[in-house]
Amino acid sequence: MRPYQVGTAAAIIAIAAVAMFDSRAAFSPSIGTAPGDVGSRWYPFWAAAIMGVAALVVAYRAFLTPQTSEGVFQGRESIFAVLKLVLPMLAYATLIGGIRWQSGEITYTVIPPLGFYVATALYMGGFGWWIGRYKVWWVALITIAFPLVIYAAFELGFRVSLPKSFLYDSGILPF
Amino acid sequence: MELLNDIGVVFSSLAGGFATALHPINMAMLFVAVVLGLIIGVLPGLGGTSGVAILLPVTVFIAHGSLPGSDATTAIIFLAGIYWGALFGGVITSILFNIPGEPWAVVLLFDGFPLAKRLGRPGLALASSFVSSFVGAFIATVLFTFFALPIALRALQFGPAELFAVFVLSFATLIGLGAEAPIKSVAMLALGLLLAAVGFDTITGEQRLNFGQISLLSGIGFVPVTIGLFGIGEILASAEEQGIGYVENLSARLGLRDVVQALGELRKRLRLVLSNSIIGFLFGVLPGHGATAASFLGYGLARQYSKNKENFGKGEISGIMGPQAAADAAGVASMVPMITLGIPGSPTSAVIMAGLFIWGLQPGPVLFLEHQDFVWGLIASIYLGHLLTFILCLLAVPLLAMIMRVPYAIITPFIVVISIIGSYSLNNSMLDVFITVLFGVIGYWLRKLKYPLAPLVVALVLGDSTERELRKALISGGGSPLFFFSSWLSTATLLLALVLVLIPLVRTLLARRHGATVAAAAGHAAR
Repeated sequence: MRPYQVGTAAAIIAIAAVAMFDSRAAFSPSIGTAPGDVGSRWYPFWAAAIMGVAALVVAYRAFLTPQTSEGVFQGRESIFAVLKLVLPMLAYATLIGGIRWQSGEITYTVIPPLGFYVATALYMGGFGWWIGRYKVWWVALITIAFPLVIYAAFELGFRVSLPKSFLYDSGILPF
Repeated sequence: MELLNDIGVVFSSLAGGFATALHPINMAMLFVAVVLGLIIGVLPGLGGTSGVAILLPVTVFIAHGSLPGSDATTAIIFLAGIYWGALFGGVITSILFNIPGEPWAVVLLFDGFPLAKRLGRPGLALASSFVSSFVGAFIATVLFTFFALPIALRALQFGPAELFAVFVLSFATLIGLGAEAPIKSVAMLALGLLLAAVGFDTITGEQRLNFGQISLLSGIGFVPVTIGLFGIGEILASAEEQGIGYVENLSARLGLRDVVQALGELRKRLRLVLSNSIIGFLFGVLPGHGATAASFLGYGLARQYSKNKENFGKGEISGIMGPQAAADAAGVASMVPMITLGIPGSPTSAVIMAGLFIWGLQPGPVLFLEHQDFVWGLIASIYLGHLLTFILCLLAVPLLAMIMRVPYAIITPFIVVISIIGSYSLNNSMLDVFITVLFGVIGYWLRKLKYPLAPLVVALVLGDSTERELRKALISGGGSPLFFFSSWLSTATLLLALVLVLIPLVRTLLARRHGATVAAAAGHAAR
């Protein structure tokens, strides 16, 4: 437990240090402040300072107090269970907007934007196939039904516009 | 005479509130919200806070009249209704499956599940829980009705120094009375204040903490962070538990006999349920505590004053009714400081408060003057919402229990999908989606290391207001910090805040002294 507590506290201290550096103008006059005002940097500076000191105390206490011998996870399976959820979730969020970047006037596209509905179809279908080990027709049903139900509820019902795919831009899909 | 006059004002305002709440669109949305809340309460991977946060963007459309006749009152009735449903629904899985659907239902594992399984009375366990929840919520709503207006009228006279002092007091409560290590509460509180400061400074318009990123100029959104911390964070935590625990599954039938017997049991424990409801209300008014802490407090009190202490943990009905009355009373009470002072009493009410900002309303005492329909419509809807939830719970438990049979491989990615819809649709921002995913992982990790999340969420939603009032007070006082002590109210509030922060320190010193005395006595005995 100790290395996790200390590592987390160290990360919080690092964030505090960055924020304090960004707000280092806390002690010089701020643009356009009224007489008596402490300026725009004072508040974030001290919030970061308090956070850093608190994390320092947490780290110090983690060294002093006896810690349980086991780690924060209940076993290797539990780490994998979390990773099995986190990694597809990251991939899903990335696929919605696709992977592309611009250099000068040229746009490089590794994966075109799949939009919310296509990415959801892949994510839910993929999860059912990989984690649920469902038969093909079940996977196909999940893949098609969920995006359609969400489209009907949000896009048509509540009129919430969600990101569309490159296939929508070329007129192949309605989303 | 003045008191009678005040009571008359409250009754006439409440009557107006009922007229608003009973409007067909408001009743329809209340029904939908309560059903959604019950489902959210039953699902172990989705809590009341994240459920309310995910559906917050939908309320923007409701508040702006996308539905015929809907307005901001419909939106708050909808959001609050989800919370009421979740308060009741969370216990169903605790009792029937030994899996808490909500954090405030954890305490039901101690006696609710044993009564259902060992004593073979799942119907009685459920009915006892629903009956006491209803009584707790009803008493808290009556207290809300009569105390909200005086508090709000008093708060109208607050200047920046008093308002800042009240914010400090709410932060001090989170530190001094929190369940986790106070120093971790301080770290989370400061992190929330820091995150709230990202983007434009509201007074001077200067950019800060955005590191040159235009996308960060408008700040870090409260909604994506909350959906991440509570929505994604919770499903990551429940993913870890999948396959580790054995899932119980009991029959979910609830008959009239169970309800009649539960009412009989309630009569025997009326004093406990009434006192726990009032204590739950008082506890729930304190910022950041809400239903979860109150449920444990309620259980402790029920056990402490019971003549059958040995029955606790084996299916004692007081172990169900005590915490449930306190939890639901605290859930309702957490709305009181939010509506009257603009300070959320729990993470869920922090999300609802964020909703008010989004709909263009300013939570706090001015609401009582400028938006009476809104405030009293909400208060009336709390009575109606709990009655509706109670009836639905009695009728639909078997249906709700069926939700637990939806496989993990469908329900988990579905929660991720709706979390992403919730975080994206408020600002149509993919950055918000990544913030949600990032804070999901952060929230999961912080929870594992026992960092409390409530201070982070409350500070994030109050950060801007706290800084504004602090600086306004300093400007008014010509830069002198003594301005904070210029009125007796702000002085007393700040002193109370100081006392609250010192409580953990005093507790530690006393424990050390007690430990030293015990060690010395043991040393004497050994000699």
